[in-house]
Amino acid sequence: MTKRTFRGGVHPDDGKAYSRDAALTVYEPKGELVFPVSQHIGKPAKVTVKVGDKVLVGQVLAEQDGYVSSNICSSCSGTVKAIEKRRTVMGNLVESVVVDNDGKFRAVKGMGDKADFRKMNRDTIMQRIRDAGIVGMGGASFPTPVKLEPKNPDGIEYVIVNGAECEPYITCDDQLMRTHAGEIVTGLEIMLSLFPKAQGVIVIEENKPEAIAAMTEAVTMSQNIRVQPAPTKYPQGGEKSIIKVVAGKDTKMSQLPAEAGCIVDNVSTVYAIYEAVCLATPLIRRAVTVTGPAVRNPGNFIVRVGTSFRELFEAAGGLADGAEIRKAIAGGAMMGIAIADLDVPVQKASNALTLLTVDGVEEAERKLTPCIRCGRCNEVCPMGLTPQMMGVAAERKDYWKYENRLYGLECISCGSCTYVCPAKRPLMQLFKDAKGAILEARRAAQQGGGAK
Amino acid sequence: MTPSVSYNVSSSPHVRSPLSTGHVMYDVILALLPATLFGVWHFGVHALLVVLMSVASAVVTEFVFDYVTGRENTLYDGSAVLTGLLLALCIPASVPLYIPYIGSVFAVLVVKCLFGGLGKNFMNPALGGRCFLLLSFGSAMTNYAVDGVSGATPLAQLGSGSAVNVVQVFTGHAGGVIGCSAFALLLGGLYLWVIDAIPWRIPVSILVSFAVFMGLFGGDGFNLPLLCVHLASGGVFMAAFFMATDPVTSPVTAPGQLIYGCCVGVLSGFFRVFGSSADSVSYAVILSNLATPLIDELIIPKPYAYRDSANDAPFTFDKKVWVPAVCAVVCVLGVSVGLLRGVAGVTAGIVEKRQLSESLTAYRALLPDAVDFSIPDATQKAIEGLNGAAWGSGFGEVIIQEAVSGTDAVGAAAGHVVTVRTMDGRDAPITLSVGFLPDGTLNGILYSELNETPGIGMKVEEESFTGQFVGIPAAALTLGSDIDAASGATISSTAVVNAVNAAIDFHIAYGDQMN
Repeated sequence: MTKRTFRGGVHPDDGKAYSRDAALTVYEPKGELVFPVSQHIGKPAKVTVKVGDKVLVGQVLAEQDGYVSSNICSSCSGTVKAIEKRRTVMGNLVESVVVDNDGKFRAVKGMGDKADFRKMNRDTIMQRIRDAGIVGMGGASFPTPVKLEPKNPDGIEYVIVNGAECEPYITCDDQLMRTHAGEIVTGLEIMLSLFPKAQGVIVIEENKPEAIAAMTEAVTMSQNIRVQPAPTKYPQGGEKSIIKVVAGKDTKMSQLPAEAGCIVDNVSTVYAIYEAVCLATPLIRRAVTVTGPAVRNPGNFIVRVGTSFRELFEAAGGLADGAEIRKAIAGGAMMGIAIADLDVPVQKASNALTLLTVDGVEEAERKLTPCIRCGRCNEVCPMGLTPQMMGVAAERKDYWKYENRLYGLECISCGSCTYVCPAKRPLMQLFKDAKGAILEARRAAQQGGGAK
Repeated sequence: MTPSVSYNVSSSPHVRSPLSTGHVMYDVILALLPATLFGVWHFGVHALLVVLMSVASAVVTEFVFDYVTGRENTLYDGSAVLTGLLLALCIPASVPLYIPYIGSVFAVLVVKCLFGGLGKNFMNPALGGRCFLLLSFGSAMTNYAVDGVSGATPLAQLGSGSAVNVVQVFTGHAGGVIGCSAFALLLGGLYLWVIDAIPWRIPVSILVSFAVFMGLFGGDGFNLPLLCVHLASGGVFMAAFFMATDPVTSPVTAPGQLIYGCCVGVLSGFFRVFGSSADSVSYAVILSNLATPLIDELIIPKPYAYRDSANDAPFTFDKKVWVPAVCAVVCVLGVSVGLLRGVAGVTAGIVEKRQLSESLTAYRALLPDAVDFSIPDATQKAIEGLNGAAWGSGFGEVIIQEAVSGTDAVGAAAGHVVTVRTMDGRDAPITLSVGFLPDGTLNGILYSELNETPGIGMKVEEESFTGQFVGIPAAALTLGSDIDAASGATISSTAVVNAVNAAIDFHIAYGDQMN
């Protein structure tokens, strides 16, 4: 049987050799920890502590405000030092709770107590996941409880664990699967207990044979879970790509995965669900890869959320000999966010710190030529869009054509078109501008309509 | 708190493929090397000079244009080198060196730079240059005679009905432009295909649609060796793999590329079967280049998620765009055809009259002493008796159309004129009149129908050829000894001499009854 894949896609240098075999190491932070109240899609959490309060590990610092929102829990014990605006990986200033870490990591009562999810009812499981403040840890940070309560619970055919990790350089999910396969399968079983009719599928790219072997062994006892290896191709780990690969369906931007009968969650998220339900531990730690040619000892770390990236960088041995950081990225090289400096905290969805000695964007700007209309961007678009035409429309600010004839809002921002472009056109930048302008105009029109 | 170091913040993706515009161009140049090397080896050092001249003048033109207009130097993108090389491969090896120079300057300066440079030109610069040269220097551009190499191209041989060696056509030993080796071009094309540098849809749709068209309308049906000769000659491979695939002037979408390829293939076939130009493929590609913006505007594929229902077109069908576009195309075509028909109707009568007076003028020119012309009964009966059959044997397919006698001012015989039509012209039938003086010598020939290819068959119109038919005895002529063939137009020369011999034969048989 030929392996199923999605259409389009690219094969960037995966850069995983730096850290793929570095075992997960626990890193305990020394300095202050910073908890932005908005680490998720939706409404920011409401701060429940005040300056001077003593807090424990697992204590809620800011609580879920509304349905699409999420708790923020402390990952250390200590004193609340400040509640102020701090710079985050997104580059903006966000209201944050700053905790002075006492280094003792004393936990709230009951945290870590083992429990069997099979004895819990649906509501208890959901409550534990909600309390734990779990969000999608692959990057999108959509609150997980919302995902687990679709309008059509009976229509869910597949619960997909996204272990593709197609992003170059990142290896933390790989390591997590190699070493915590059993826990991940338990996490998946918890999710399947919410959707009894669904089948569990763990999708892993073929460049992670150890992870495939470990997960395959871990699922041998489970009747309704299978491991599906997928060809190594970016963006295999994109939500829409993975649904295509498992369920064979193409989904529109307006469609939730549930409408295609799928629930998709990242490996780390599923592991967090296991911890929340079986160990009564909220989302306070995650696996993070610190990697790239500029890092002395690239590695994979279990890190407390709120730890400064700079501390993590030092923990990985700091700057490699003779290296100079030309680009610092929170995340991987394809979709990660460039950060201006390392003094930003690790968030729930921070899967990597990638430090490059060559900035591909700077290089590209130097080699920029006019579009030669070669159409490579059209070939690689996993959504079947026409980035070449979208680029022209965006440049001309012909937003009507961009939206209505070219379906430009269907772009998932994977960057494949921009990666492959020989003329080095800044397509992603143009699309972000165009999408921003269209959505802005739409909001303005709605508000105008509401005022009448 | 200000950070001590600030790293570059920019939109993702932060890594880019190693491929650059220069790489794309140099890959094509690499793919053209086999054909170039073969051309140089086959045609000799002059071919190398043509190639060097073409490339050098393309590069210098772009450099000077960038410098004069204060633009950034764009030579590094490799497109000027490629344009020069492509153009050189499309011209015969024997041309004087100013031809590639002028062609390259036109291609780079007019077709590319003046329209905004790389990515903005609306037709393939190299093809634009070639067509410019074809129109301006027709005879040099179609003179394929080189030391030791037969003058006729495979297509010319095919047109004249003579046998063509398929193997020679494929290797390029059969003559033509510098880049005439179909095998070398195919090799380069396959290389580009394998490394994914050209979309396979364009060459495949061109070759398939061209072969099907030639099979249907070429007159020989689906005869495999003949189709192979058609595919391998006349620049079809060059166009399919290198010219039509120029990304700037071809559609960017998959369905658009298929439509465009079929457009090139069908037009090439159409021009080759029904056209009279030496070059069918170049014009087909250029016309399709012009259609590219329209194809791209009309054919926009839908995202995969929107193609689910079976009755959905795989591309956007937008009435707002399609209706005006289709209306415009239909209107332009309709008005053009209407106008042409109208003009033809009005001018038909005038054309007929002019033709009559033209033949009178011809008779007067051939028999300078004659003032009156008459058609003798005897010869008229003889012609009618033939009933359209060919005159004699050994003249090919020649019919006697008319024989008129001339009398001078005092009523004495002033000679006669025999008009013959041969079907053996290179591209089309030829009709000519032969003047016979009373002393039994020829007094020249005049064509009333001659539609040979400019630069090839059309050379029989030149004075150096026709002048040979003046003042020689009216006896059977032999090509090569009595009459020298027009250079590079052997087929047409043979046809003309055979036709004149038929007229002479007719004159010998009936001359007495005409005076």
